[in-house]
Amino acid sequence: MKGIGRIWLLSLMALMLIVSAACSNESGGSNSDNNDEDSVTLTIGSWRTEDSANYQKVIEAFNEKHPEIKVEFKPSKNTEYNTILNTSLQAGEGPDIIHLRPYAPGLELAKAGYVEPIDGLNGLDTFPEETLQASRGEDGKQYGVPLNLSTTQVFYNKAIFKEHGLEEPKTWDEFIAINEKLKSEGVTPLAFGTKEGWLLSLAHGIFGPAHWGGNDFVEKISKGETDFTSPEFVKSIQVMEDLKEYFPNNSEGLGMEDIRTLFFTGQAAMFPLGSWEIEVLREMNPDLELGFFPMPSAVGGEPTLTTWVDGSFGINANSEHKEEAKKFLEFLTTEEFGELFTTNFKMISAIPGVQSDNELVNDLSKAVSDYSTPYMMLVYFAGGNPSSKVTIETELQGMYIGEQDVDGVVKTLQENTEAWFEPFQ
Amino acid sequence: MQIETNTPIVKQKKTRNWKRWAIHLFPIPALLIFSIFIVYPLVAALSYSFYDWNGITRGAFVGLANFIDLFTLQPFSNMFWNAAKNNVLYFVVQMIVQNGIAFVLAFIIYKRIKGSEFLKVAYFLPRLLSVIVVGFLWKLILNPNFGALNVILGEFGMESLQKAWLGDPKTALMAIILVNCWFGIGFAMLIFLAGLQSIPKELVEAAKLDGANGANVITKIILPLMLPSIMIMTVLTFIQSFEAFELVYAMQGSQGEPYYSTDLLAVFFYRLAFGGSAAGDSTAVGLGSALAVVLFLFIATCTALLLKYMQKKQVEM
Repeated sequence: MKGIGRIWLLSLMALMLIVSAACSNESGGSNSDNNDEDSVTLTIGSWRTEDSANYQKVIEAFNEKHPEIKVEFKPSKNTEYNTILNTSLQAGEGPDIIHLRPYAPGLELAKAGYVEPIDGLNGLDTFPEETLQASRGEDGKQYGVPLNLSTTQVFYNKAIFKEHGLEEPKTWDEFIAINEKLKSEGVTPLAFGTKEGWLLSLAHGIFGPAHWGGNDFVEKISKGETDFTSPEFVKSIQVMEDLKEYFPNNSEGLGMEDIRTLFFTGQAAMFPLGSWEIEVLREMNPDLELGFFPMPSAVGGEPTLTTWVDGSFGINANSEHKEEAKKFLEFLTTEEFGELFTTNFKMISAIPGVQSDNELVNDLSKAVSDYSTPYMMLVYFAGGNPSSKVTIETELQGMYIGEQDVDGVVKTLQENTEAWFEPFQ
Repeated sequence: MQIETNTPIVKQKKTRNWKRWAIHLFPIPALLIFSIFIVYPLVAALSYSFYDWNGITRGAFVGLANFIDLFTLQPFSNMFWNAAKNNVLYFVVQMIVQNGIAFVLAFIIYKRIKGSEFLKVAYFLPRLLSVIVVGFLWKLILNPNFGALNVILGEFGMESLQKAWLGDPKTALMAIILVNCWFGIGFAMLIFLAGLQSIPKELVEAAKLDGANGANVITKIILPLMLPSIMIMTVLTFIQSFEAFELVYAMQGSQGEPYYSTDLLAVFFYRLAFGGSAAGDSTAVGLGSALAVVLFLFIATCTALLLKYMQKKQVEM
């Protein structure tokens, strides 16, 4: 009897555990804090866990104007953010303010009705048209306030350039000549590896515009007036293959961290990558003399610097505090926020004309206004499944390991895009 | 006497009836947990696989269209068969390398060769690490420019053998499978050791007295009696090979890089259902669910057949 009693007790406890877990899940997951009737608490969802301290400063600045609105920054891990956000949105929950992934993936949420349109929000007119496009739905409504611009360009080690008597290239031929000289003098010219696919479309975004000549081509292809089989685009893929001889040994096995190490330890002279690396490189090697140059054109045009809007903030359509959330979004359009952002986050604010205390960021910011060209595969071709962006990554990888050729890359990419991209059909 | 003992008997009967009735209650908590965490997700995945999905929102009921797409629509069907082929290779190599070596090691320890206690611990050691740590560790060792393996090869003047192990499609999958073998040998060895130790010593001695030589003892006595543990290891290896995910994810990410050469069914499923690890990758919940259902049915059927075969073999003996 004693034994049975104990088992009963145990099973009862197990049951209670399950029930209480189920209940707490329901109430704990909701985003509003109804106990405190005077003040409202907004939650912000994001994938930038590393920015928590910086967002705290932003929230403090916001609270100086709106002390009645409490704001909580609740990020989740980058690679798990989408899954967590999607499931909570499907359950009618989620944060009040959503950090939207740029372009197609973020707009997918808007299309599904999870994001509130914010047309007419005060301050939206601060942003240039192409910046706003990053979070504008197919229905023409605005769903997000853009946060920052990311850029990709070639970084270079000034000390190595000086040692070998090199200068920033003004034409594509000069760029190739630099690579040749470095190679012949025993320095790896380009810190680059092809193990991680995303690096490949990123690099193609840097070297490609030099061959299709910048924005005219992008505009044409986005309207379907030309396609990936055009000679300009085929050349951009051919160039990716040609550059391989300037990559490090075993480049097919090198990932992000490997090539960064090659660059900041001075084993390679140039590093084709994104603006977010500035802060990382500075921490890894504070003595590194870092420079960058926009990509010189191979067809006699202006040099290009590839940019895109890297995330924007939208409002959860299920939020109970939409008015308060709007006030926060309005704050994100102010110059005060822009300066706070650039200074603390060391990134280029989406708000035009904001100055940073970091010289390199300022130079980049200026180059953006002079030479900006969109990251075409992300901005226009991130749709489809697998997306055209992922397709070009995989196919380029295939090319570098000898399982695919230039024509094959173009053909597969074209077929994949025709399957979902209406202007191509 | 009879009258006196009458009452206790009735009481006992009552208790026994109550006990019998109560027995049916005890599995309830377990069943509850089982249904919430195992049955419900399975049924949910099955239901998801019958719908059209637009991003993360459920669209119309489409019947078996997702299943048909999975097997016919490009590039998914190509990826599916490529991943399935890789899974088969995963299973075969693990059976031969991991379980083969584990059996030999178990036999060495069973024979109580000097230092066998130390060996037992040493072989089992990798198992103590988490799969993610194992993946990270080997990723470092296999790094083409900084990794220990290529450095050691260089030290011994074998530069020609240096490779981008995880970047070359010819070696990437095999490298991952062998790391998995390294990780799994200890566990397989313990199972085989337990099997060896359960063989009655008298049988072996009797066979030796009857004049059987070493090879005969192994093939005629030890192997047949080891059959249960061999079959258990086969079933476990089979399940593990067809749901392998963590190690590939830790070492190569969710795209099956390079060029799908390390793609496995579970990795392919993750990519379809959750959109992969690359930014700008979209989801196909319907296809993903269909793949999950196919994978479940395949593993469940094969496991059931294997177990059935095992039972029959045991009965025969």
